[in-house]
Parts: sequence; C-alpha cells; structure tokens
Amino acid sequence: MGFPVFDENAHLFGQGYLTTVVLSAGALALSLVIGTVVASARVWGGPIVQSFSRAYVEFFRNTPLLVQLLFIAVLLAPRNLNVTREPIVAALIGLSIYTGAYVTEVVRSGILSVDPRQIEAARSLGLSQVEALRFVVLPQAVRTVIPPLGNLSIALVKNTAIASGIAATELLKVAGIIESRTGLFTPYIAVLVAYWTLTLPLAWVVSRLERRLAFAR
Amino acid sequence: MTALAAVRRRSSGHGALIAGAIVVSLIVLGFASGRLEARKWEPFLLPSTWRFLGEGLLVTLTVAGASLLLSLTFGLLLGIARSHLRGPLGWIVSASIELSRATPILAILLIVLLVLLRSGLTQNAIIAGIVGLSIYNSAVVAEIVRAGIGSIARGEVEAARSLGLSYAQTMRAVVLPQALARMTPALVSQVITLIKDTSLLFIITAPELLSFGRSFYNYYGNLLETYIVIACIFFAINYPLSRFSRRLEARQPTDERLHIVGEEDQALIPAMPHRGTSP
Repeated sequence: MGFPVFDENAHLFGQGYLTTVVLSAGALALSLVIGTVVASARVWGGPIVQSFSRAYVEFFRNTPLLVQLLFIAVLLAPRNLNVTREPIVAALIGLSIYTGAYVTEVVRSGILSVDPRQIEAARSLGLSQVEALRFVVLPQAVRTVIPPLGNLSIALVKNTAIASGIAATELLKVAGIIESRTGLFTPYIAVLVAYWTLTLPLAWVVSRLERRLAFAR
Repeated sequence: MTALAAVRRRSSGHGALIAGAIVVSLIVLGFASGRLEARKWEPFLLPSTWRFLGEGLLVTLTVAGASLLLSLTFGLLLGIARSHLRGPLGWIVSASIELSRATPILAILLIVLLVLLRSGLTQNAIIAGIVGLSIYNSAVVAEIVRAGIGSIARGEVEAARSLGLSYAQTMRAVVLPQALARMTPALVSQVITLIKDTSLLFIITAPELLSFGRSFYNYYGNLLETYIVIACIFFAINYPLSRFSRRLEARQPTDERLHIVGEEDQALIPAMPHRGTSP
C-alpha cells in the first residue's frame, strides 16, 4: 500500500497488543498457581511455613513492582544466574510473583470464608476429605473469590505497562518506539484506547459478577 | 479457641517473625545467585550512603505527599460532583474518572511528561510526575468518595432534608462525616499504591529514590544489593501503613466496606475467620 511506515507501525502495534495480552494471561495463570499453593501453606501449614508465606505476601505487596522487575531482570541476566536476557520472561515472572502475593490473600480469605464445621459435617455424612473439599468448600470459596480475582486481573493488565521499564516490547513500549521514530503523539492515544479495550470490558464483567454473586448470597 | 491456637495466632501475627523470614529468604537468594559478597554490602555501612539515599527518599516522599494532597482535594470535589451532577456535565465527569482508572498509571505519566515538554510549560520531570500521579489518584479517590457517599442510606438524606436542612447542610453535617469514616481504610490502601507508584518516576527520568540508587550502584557496581536495600526502604514505609489499613478494615462492619474495582491494593476481600483460624 501507499503507507509503508503506517503498515510497519501497525504491525509493531499489533505485536505490542499481543504481548500485553499474553503477558496478562500468562501472569494471571501463574499467579493463580502461586496464590493457591501459598494460601494453602498459609492456612494448613506449620508455624514456620506460615511465617514464610506471610513474609512473601507482605514483602511483595509492599514494595514497588518496578523494583521487583528490575531485580529479576538483572538476576536472570547472563552475568548473574545466566537464565535469559529476554525482558518478557523477566516481566512474566515478576508480574506473576507480584500478583501471586495478592492472589494468596484472596484465596486464603476464600478458604477461610467456609466454616470448617461444614467439612466436619460432610465427613460425618460419609464424604472423603477430598470430596468434602471438592463438593462443599470449593463451590462456596469460588463464589467469594471470583470478584476479587477479576479485580486483580484488571490491575494486572494495567501493571503490564510497567514491564516497559525493563524494555519488554509491550503496548506502552511500542508507543514510545513509534513516537520516537515519527515524532507523532498519536501512538499514545492509540495505546490508551488499546488498554481500554482490555480493562473496560473486564471492569464491566467484574461489576456484573459482583452484583450477581451478592444476590446469590 | 484453645490456648495453643491463641499462641499460634499471636505468633503468626508477629512482625519480628515475618522480618526474620524475609531476611532468611534474601540471604538464601543471595547465596543461590552466588552474588552475596560482603564487599558489595560494605558501602551500606557508610553514613554518606544513607545521606545520599536519604536525599532520594526525601524526593520520593515529597512527591508522594504533594500528589496525595492534590488527589484528595480534586478527588473529593470530583467524587461529590459525580454523585450529584446529572446531564452531560455529569456524564463527562463520570467518563473521565472511569477512563483514567482504566489506564495504566505509567501511560498517564509518560503522556503528561510529553505534553508538558512539547507545550514548553516545564521540563521538570518531578512536576510531570506529581501531575500524572495526581490525575490518576484523583480519579481513584473520586471513586472512593462516590462509593462512600453512595453507601449512606437514602433515608438519612431524606430525614435530614425533611427536618429543614438545606442540601449543602445535609451533605456537610450528615452524609460526608459518615462517608469519610467509611472511606478511610480504602484511602489508606490507596496511599500504599501511591507510594509504590512514585518509583515509576524513575522511568520518566525524575530523580527519586530509584534514580539515586542508580547513581549509587553505577559507582559501586552493586546492582542487586542496591535493589534489595531500596525494596526494604519501601517495605519499611508501606508495611506499617498496610497493617494500619487492615486494622481499620477489621474494625469496619462488613456492610460498610467499599468495593473499589481495578486497584490491587483495594482488591482484597476481608477474611471472615471461623473458630480459631488465624487472621
């Protein structure tokens, strides 16, 4: 077509959008795993396991994500652990660990929201421990946990922008690249709209879920 | 609750134990990465180091304080406006609050910096940072204010109005005092987010704590150690704040808690412990 620059930039922009989506989805999945494991350790573990999982949650919640990402990127770099110099990997790990701390708290309150006497009742009715967790605790815990998890995923999408601070080429970084090439301001407008296409529908879903689950309770 | 459970409950809530676990983790991490050399920690024993990093911290705290003040002022005004304005004006206020909250704060910071630079208003990245942080946080505070005002029962307003109070009087004497009390835990949580977000000024090249840290590690060559120390400085400020906000939340009746969507520090639902489970 007649606009080679535009085509190239549009391609770059698309890649950035994809990176942001993949980074968000990947970090959400990983943080769910981390959060579930650590929350279980926190609820059912011994005192030492408990204090370590608590330390994890408190430390990562109360320090800036940017510092965590910079630390992890440097730690993984060839001259330290020599794992990778790929900023996307560092960003994925950092975002997962950071969000995992919040997911831990959410899952923990989900577990605690179910009265343990219900497990005792289920067990005395002949259900196994696993069956009691599966059919009694889980359905109720999920109900408590879903809206705050939706909430966290909105925050996560917004936090992926911080990965541009370690030179991961997600949306915001792409906007910066195109802006420095062309001197145009429009890439930043486009990037705002691109983020809104992710965060606004998520916010709508979360508020609907909150309302529905509030009625169900 | 058994005595053992009570002891465990107290010990699991003990700050010293958590601090111990953090220190142990960091040391293990340091050894695992093979980077824990005493030499690299030595600069942190010098008073000059702390004077230097202290300067950076002062900038960070000033930025946070200024942004907080601006956000509270504008957030309160916007929140009240949003609760009461109808028609196109109200629609504009709502839309700008919602869109700001749906945007990554770093994007706002970069755009503000670019606009200020190009319009020739200022080249000062710290001012751009304060403006950017204030725009985003005003929107969040406005949402908190709206949720707070919305949580006050309609009947209270109607009762006050029928007793002859004017609309402004009702707001000032009946609605806002109660709403403010309900808003406090959410506001304290937002202060934690704000303090963490000041580190993003590093990316727009404002000289805050992290930038001072960079000059420091460029000189001594102790990158990882400096990041750990900076993280610990942030932790030392934010951990007491988060404990404070949790204590406020715990005292708040469940039906008075405000739900603010899309902020990680607001996302936590309070635990409803049953029978001796730890808090």
